Amino acid sequence: MEAIEVTDLRKSYGDTVAVDGVTFTVRAGETFGIVGHNGAGKTTTVECLTGLRRADAGSVRVLGEDPARRRRALAQRLGVQLQDGSLPERIKVAEALRMFGAFYRDPADWRRVMERWGLGPLARKAYGDLSGGQRQRLMLALALVGDPEVVVLDELTTGLDPIARRDTWRLVGDLKTAGTTVVLVSHYFDEIEALCDRVAVLARGRVAATGTTGELVARTGTASLEEAYLALEGTDR
Amino acid sequence: MKAFTALAAAELRLLARDPASLFFMVAFPLMLLVLKRGDGGAVPGYLAMIAAIGGMGALPGLLASYRERKVLKRLAATPISPVLLLGAQLVAQVAAGLAGSALLVVVTIAVFGARPPGNVVLLAAAFLLCSVMVCALGFVIAAVVRNTRGASLIGMLVMFPMIFLSGAAVPRKALPGSLRQIGDFLPLTPAVEALGDAWSGTVAVFPLLILAGIIVAATAAGAALFRWE
Repeated sequence: MEAIEVTDLRKSYGDTVAVDGVTFTVRAGETFGIVGHNGAGKTTTVECLTGLRRADAGSVRVLGEDPARRRRALAQRLGVQLQDGSLPERIKVAEALRMFGAFYRDPADWRRVMERWGLGPLARKAYGDLSGGQRQRLMLALALVGDPEVVVLDELTTGLDPIARRDTWRLVGDLKTAGTTVVLVSHYFDEIEALCDRVAVLARGRVAATGTTGELVARTGTASLEEAYLALEGTDR
Repeated sequence: MKAFTALAAAELRLLARDPASLFFMVAFPLMLLVLKRGDGGAVPGYLAMIAAIGGMGALPGLLASYRERKVLKRLAATPISPVLLLGAQLVAQVAAGLAGSALLVVVTIAVFGARPPGNVVLLAAAFLLCSVMVCALGFVIAAVVRNTRGASLIGMLVMFPMIFLSGAAVPRKALPGSLRQIGDFLPLTPAVEALGDAWSGTVAVFPLLILAGIIVAATAAGAALFRWE
């Protein structure tokens, strides 16, 4: 079964074309990577998946629903970590997790999510007093507190130190084991290689290639995903 | 319902942590009361002022800052609806105003020995309508003016003349005729009237109906203009 189907998605902001005909599918239970340079259209694609933006043309289906029309119903089953979302300065970590948990019909136990993401010691700390990495971890935990079937993580480990990064990788691996469909947006190739079953390479608002890391490397005759990406990026230019 | 309660409780907790809100909705009216030597006649106006400070002085800036800092964007990625979000903000503001008002009324009676309000139920109803009305106006301001500084500024620019011209801060009898006429057209004026009537024990329905009408119109405008981003 396909968890996500994006067909010929297009979105412009004024004269700027952000997404220019993106097509890909994500199978249920798969961890799917989206890589691309800054401005390649990654975040716009994510925002169309989550119903935060309405596409100009093309179709988006997440768990069979159109996110633009059924945002709230879909949000019950879709967890999101946004690149630029934030929380009120004075809300405490535990309060935020408890509140977000209450938004969902059938949430995970917010205390367990808090412990699993190492936020227990920060429970009584205000959002405004957290470091960048701590905020990032809280936003990740908030994406999962609704116990979603599909999780979209935009810039998963930006701002995390190397140890926190590896911890996060392990937890994303746990999600996969639990059967959750994960969409991972990143420009860290090691992360995509370590975690993703398949990858879509975005370049200038289009999908330059889709496949497993091995397929992309073989197709381009390169030695790593990073080199494959650079080759694909170049051919599309 | 669970989502609504959680959101409203969180917002109320945040208000209680905000020194400016605490000062202007609790301490400031008490200070004015002391300056007035505990004159019970000034209290209905102060109740309207407490509501106006929250709904128009604080709420537009708060909502605009949530929008600017992408708090609303994050909430838009949850199953929360705009109505639920605005409703929770409203309940938090009304509850905070109610707490400040109850304290003011109790102090007026217990400390200064003023006569208790003539009709407590009507006073509570008038305060609720007044409070919801100013919040609805605050939502309109936050929807029209998108950035934090602008929304705070416009909120203040609307609120301050209104509390002085509507009889909330100073009795309208003390105003020059032309300024009093301006007050006739301000939405806070019927609120002050309704609170004053309830305080003295007079039953008057007309001001309450006007408040209800303003609430319906402003809520419709605020909801139609609302944007997450």
